[in-house]
Amino acid sequence: MDASEQSQSVTAKPDSYEAAVERLEEIIDRLDSGQAGLRETLDLCKEGKELVGYCAAELDEVGEGLKELNLDALAARLDSPPEAA
Amino acid sequence: MGQTVEESLNQEASAQGTSAGPQLPGPFAVGRYARKLQEEMRKRARVQLIGEVTGVSRSKVQAYFELRDGEGAVPCAIWLNDLEKAGLSDGALRDGAEVVISGGPDYYPGGGQASPSFSFRATHVRLAGEGDLIARLEALRKQLRAEGLFELQKQLARPLLPKTIGVVTAERGAARRDLLAGLERRGWGGSVVWAFAPVQDRHAAPAIGLALQDLAARPEVEAIVVTRGGGSLADLWAFCDETLCRTVAMLRVPVVSAVGHERDSTLIDDVAAVACSTPTHAAEAAVPLDCLAARGSLERCALALRRAGEGAIDARSRHLGALARGPARALQRQRSDLNQKIREIRAATERGVADRASFQRRIGTVVLERARRRALGADMERRREGLKRAAVALRAHEPERTLERGYALVEGEGGEPLTSAAEAGAAERISLRFSDGRVRAKPERDGEA
Repeated sequence: MDASEQSQSVTAKPDSYEAAVERLEEIIDRLDSGQAGLRETLDLCKEGKELVGYCAAELDEVGEGLKELNLDALAARLDSPPEAA
Repeated sequence: MGQTVEESLNQEASAQGTSAGPQLPGPFAVGRYARKLQEEMRKRARVQLIGEVTGVSRSKVQAYFELRDGEGAVPCAIWLNDLEKAGLSDGALRDGAEVVISGGPDYYPGGGQASPSFSFRATHVRLAGEGDLIARLEALRKQLRAEGLFELQKQLARPLLPKTIGVVTAERGAARRDLLAGLERRGWGGSVVWAFAPVQDRHAAPAIGLALQDLAARPEVEAIVVTRGGGSLADLWAFCDETLCRTVAMLRVPVVSAVGHERDSTLIDDVAAVACSTPTHAAEAAVPLDCLAARGSLERCALALRRAGEGAIDARSRHLGALARGPARALQRQRSDLNQKIREIRAATERGVADRASFQRRIGTVVLERARRRALGADMERRREGLKRAAVALRAHEPERTLERGYALVEGEGGEPLTSAAEAGAAERISLRFSDGRVRAKPERDGEA
């Protein structure tokens, strides 16, 4: 996202997936109620699309196959001195 | 309890006339002190102890082990013949076994070559039954609950979609496989950090506690699962360890426990954020979001949003179009109304004019009639007067009036007036008409006389 697109964004990045889903449900409920005006509808749609994008990205992060790590190996990696360049 | 070791030795020292010194009793011969200590120990009440067996070793005549729990340990010894009498199966007295021993404290004073040692002299040993363990568990449970340790983990927020979870379990166990299967079934492909630990012996609880702390110290770990397969309560006893459970309660990362089967209830289940009956359920609790379902739900959301956006514009476009046509329609409607009104007014006017005309005709007729009548009356009067005047005039011109004034009218024989002397002279006879009668006459012509 470039600077201009960022400035047009109506919402900040959600704190978490659940926060994003909760807000998304609010938006859908509001749109389903039919009480939103045109400007609000378009703003909500834009915000909703951003939230869907965020959630999809979050799902993508855990959608590429389960990775197994070993705590001892991680700890050993941290304990070992950095290799000389 | 009788005299202490020191009192007993002091009495002996006094009898022998030796001084115990100004501040402390003694000095005593250590061998005698050791034997007195043994006597005192053996006088203590016999009791039963329950705990986990560790460090089992055997000599030709005795078996040695430590009996311990989370708070401490006691070195124990049992004669092999007493052990045989206890009727335990071979190998039952092993590390990790929960046992109940009967006996009392003892002290071996040692000898010239042998080292002294303290031990709890067990005269009977039995494997701890479920009842023993449950009683211990309930007491511990009551204590931890009273301290509020059951609630701490449950107050932690559990992420719906963690990217990394830690797992404490045995390296070779069905629980590990089941947990992985559960995670994959939810379509979750994040990172699992394994912290393998023994799950059934005296080393289990400290190792599990350490693994939990290490995992919780890693910032990327958002939830931790502790799991092992089923077993007897004694097998699962490590998960009732007080120190371990206190450690879990104080962690700031939510812990999901899945220890044993559904019917098993260990203390770690009480202090954990979520207690599950199987590793598969633990996978669902650690990753609450079903990623496969969530993807479908997201697609529906995206579709709903697109429809809402487009629909809002379409609906408003139609509305705007309708509004744009509104004035023309309104004008047309007004025009129609106006025309209708004009027609109505015209019709009403025509009706009104007709009515008025009719009315006026009626009125006119009446008025005219009245006028006519009035006019007729005046005319008659006038005529009457005219007639009267005419009558008077006529009468004034009547020959009789003239005759009355002394004139006479000459008439022929037929009564016709003779208005000239010639006519009268030519007639054979004439009649002279006076106002009061006629006189016949015969004109005399010139020459006849």
